[in-house]
Amino acid sequence: MRSERSYELGPLTELVLRYALPGAVLIFCVLSHFAEAWQSVLMGLALCLAVLVTAHTLTSKIRRISLRKSELDIQLIQSQKMAAIGVLSSGVAHEINTPLAIISQEAELIQHAFGRGVLEGLKEAPEIKDSVAQIVLQVDHCREITHKLLSFARKREAISQETNINGLIEDMVQLVEREAKLNNIRINRKYAQGLPPVVTDPSLLRQVVLNLLNNAVQAIQDGGEVTASTGLEGQNIAVMKFTDTGCGISKDDLANIFNPFFTTKPPGKGTGLGLSICLTILERLGGTVSVQSEPGKGTTFAVRLPVGRRVGQ
Amino acid sequence: MTLETSVLVVDDEERFSSNMVKLLQVNKIKAKAVNSGEAALKDVAENQYDVILLDVKMPGLTGTATLKRLREAGCSAKVIVLTGHASVDDAVELLNTGAYDYLLKPCKTEKLLKMIGMAHEQKMMEDKGVS
Repeated sequence: MRSERSYELGPLTELVLRYALPGAVLIFCVLSHFAEAWQSVLMGLALCLAVLVTAHTLTSKIRRISLRKSELDIQLIQSQKMAAIGVLSSGVAHEINTPLAIISQEAELIQHAFGRGVLEGLKEAPEIKDSVAQIVLQVDHCREITHKLLSFARKREAISQETNINGLIEDMVQLVEREAKLNNIRINRKYAQGLPPVVTDPSLLRQVVLNLLNNAVQAIQDGGEVTASTGLEGQNIAVMKFTDTGCGISKDDLANIFNPFFTTKPPGKGTGLGLSICLTILERLGGTVSVQSEPGKGTTFAVRLPVGRRVGQ
Repeated sequence: MTLETSVLVVDDEERFSSNMVKLLQVNKIKAKAVNSGEAALKDVAENQYDVILLDVKMPGLTGTATLKRLREAGCSAKVIVLTGHASVDDAVELLNTGAYDYLLKPCKTEKLLKMIGMAHEQKMMEDKGVS
């Protein structure tokens, strides 16, 4: 802080006041005891000395200021870079989704043509089929990445408002329920009645709930159940739990599941960003997320949020 | 699903909508494409569809505005929103406006076909209930 205040005063003014002027006065007092002939010579030497000391001090001060300025510049550039990456990834994800969709359609139409026998008798047919299958597979992977990038890019200032968490979870349950039914998965609701509204950012919380529900549904292979429940711990903590009867997570994997890019899904199937996004969002909302799992039996993710606390407090 | 299911694809990206029509047709669904919200409203006034696949971001009338106008015009087709860039909040808003469901592009055709089938079934049940 001190160096910043000195800088505001003006480095030259400060140096003149602090070093050069008192030095010159002191030298003048000493010189007044010598003969007049020596006085001008010594005066010259004293002035040179004062100038040298001032120049040296000024140079090191400017160097310190420049160093501090470059540190601030680096921080500024870094934060600008991160903001730009956010905007860029959002734009890229938006713009890429439609071309990706078209690539995927074209590949699928080619596969339909294969089905009609257009490659019959061609020696390279298996290779061509394999290449097209790879295109479909890789587009799938890109799709997952662009969808997750959109979640990252939507980072913005959190907005606190009173939120009915039962209603919020129900909205998200309805979003995933149709697809769950197709895979023979039943979603149970166990919402506690009379829960107080939670002061939080509903938009960010929706992302967390949707992610956890999707994970729960995807953890189940051949039919099963997902249970979404809510409750209150003590007077001030709202709890949301998402339990599945899926494959469960091993102890080793549990330690890593919140790390970015860690995934237990097969290669090309998961980006490993979902849970790390959940964790980041909940940290911003002042909440926590915990997990309990037993391989082969299922997993429960529990989200806890303070009832009355505003985001950012 | 049979040829009885009729689908209107509304998307300003012509290649996407024409490919979608081809893919639906190879899966034995009757399909047609238009490339704007305005064209969709005009077409729906003359033809009946079971399901409409609707893009959100289009020049002129957006998908959300088209959906509202379709509902005001009494169109009973089930609307599945297909978009390259919508958030969870957008999805909730579109569902509240009357969309049947919502899918992010690019989506798997298999998943879309299942959704079209379910939407058509629900429409048939509603039609029977009304009549």
